[in-house]
Amino acid sequence: MSDHDAIRALIGKSCLTLDDSDFESYLALCAPAYSYCVRVWSPELRKDMIWLEHDRDGMAGVFEALPEHLQRSGRLSRLATVATIEAIGTDQFDVVSKFVVHHTDVEGRTQTLAVGRYNDRVVRIDGVVLLSEREVALETRDLGIGLHVPL
Amino acid sequence: MVARDQSSWDKMPDMPAGHFVSGLVYTDPDIYRDESNKVFSKVWHFACHESEVPDKFDYRVFVLNGQSLFAIHGEDGVIRTFLNVCSHRGAKLLDQPSGNARSITCFYHRWAYNSQGSCTGIPRASGYDDVKKEAVGLREVRTECLHGLIFITLDDGASSLAQFIGPALDRFSDMLTGQPLEVFHYNQAVLECNWKAWHETNMDLYHEFMHVVLRQTQVNAMPMEDRKLIVFDGGHGGSGGDLKAAYDGYDGFAGRGGDVPPLPGMSATDFRFINLFPSTAIISRGTVVRIDTVTPIGPDKALLEMRGLGVKGEPVEHRRIRQKHHNQYWGPFGRNVPEDMVAAESCADSFRNQAGRYQIIARDEKMAGQDDAILRAFYSEWGRRVGRDPGAPVK
Ligand code: FES
Ligand SMILES: [Fe+2]
Repeated sequence: MSDHDAIRALIGKSCLTLDDSDFESYLALCAPAYSYCVRVWSPELRKDMIWLEHDRDGMAGVFEALPEHLQRSGRLSRLATVATIEAIGTDQFDVVSKFVVHHTDVEGRTQTLAVGRYNDRVVRIDGVVLLSEREVALETRDLGIGLHVPL
Repeated sequence: MVARDQSSWDKMPDMPAGHFVSGLVYTDPDIYRDESNKVFSKVWHFACHESEVPDKFDYRVFVLNGQSLFAIHGEDGVIRTFLNVCSHRGAKLLDQPSGNARSITCFYHRWAYNSQGSCTGIPRASGYDDVKKEAVGLREVRTECLHGLIFITLDDGASSLAQFIGPALDRFSDMLTGQPLEVFHYNQAVLECNWKAWHETNMDLYHEFMHVVLRQTQVNAMPMEDRKLIVFDGGHGGSGGDLKAAYDGYDGFAGRGGDVPPLPGMSATDFRFINLFPSTAIISRGTVVRIDTVTPIGPDKALLEMRGLGVKGEPVEHRRIRQKHHNQYWGPFGRNVPEDMVAAESCADSFRNQAGRYQIIARDEKMAGQDDAILRAFYSEWGRRVGRDPGAPVK
């Protein structure tokens, strides 16, 4: 598989695993030094805001606690399209993907929940490409009742 | 019989007045209109924090009672508020949520206004016989600032902000003014519920049980009977002494507060809140403050605005930690606020078509524990203002 194909599959799997609440498989896509954040530009404050920030352990903790929490019912569906892949040396890549997240409620009605970009740093470790940094740059700022699960 | 038939379900609860609220307060269109005319047109409403308009000509647009307004830091240093409406033909003057405008020029026919609301320019003014700049200034709305919080009222005849708030913010003055604060978080959410259904989540302590975070960090952190709640004239109410949180009780929150200085007058594990009538809550968890404001969009729709505040000019690393503390509970991905939103929308859904008839606010724990006194104080003031009994608001 070419680097580009492997990276596209990695981004795709990051969506599928979160959609399926298969958090173990999601974390298997992440490098040991994984960092995740949700960044949002506020035109009200004319500043960037961070809405969520975790390292790998923090993400694992979020996933672990999820069953205890009251959450929006229904399912999320993340659809990402890789827009650019830029190699940084031989084993690192900056990858920008556009994403849209739909929410399907328990009656089966689907609505768009959020759009934005994944700004990812991908690394190759022992021949396998892994996510080492993900910045979710959210365009949508009204998430309705909010989320317990990362996008 | 334990379960109830329809007539029993519909019957007014057999409790003292004030201990229950009719579901009609959330849905009835006449009540909604009364709230608009008798509450939101009359009260002092939290608009924004002074850090949102720090420099001359900075403005911040917001909505109250369906009307767009903007607060602007005037050339003379005074913060004023105006309807965001051009005197000429009504175009909206400012279309961005915030910005800096030395002169406000309407896009439509280029009438211009200054930061004090005077009309300063009318293109080809000679074409008018009876329009004078002096007579077509903006509609100014009364604006007062308390502890850095900017309040406005649409009622030109309202009593002062100090009279409206009374002593309700006294316990917050240290925290809000001991160091200059700054808003670092802002988000909005349109909720599918009546505005009161949201605000009740701030006033109802009993629902601590809904939140796993609060079950694990709060319910057992101090004896319930040691908690002090307080209500004030005017429908305000909150914590009368600091409540405590034991952050070690929730995985990932351990050590919270040890890594950044708490806000003035608080320890890292203190928890303090005040609900200002009708629709603003100020909540501090030691290191960070949240201000939320809900405004009605319709009987069944409300705009929630959430702000998070930290210390102005603090080191980047402190800000990052405060942001984290804010987000843990109150961000759109937090462990707390999204659950409240689920609750508000869920109750609204029951009352929407009168499946739910009454809600019970009858807990009496002598102003400790999870007493419903704050809810009762709110509804008492609500009833006084709209001229209706919250338990039987429609004859
Ligand atoms: S409507 Fe503003 S200048 Fe005409
Ligand atoms: Fe809550």
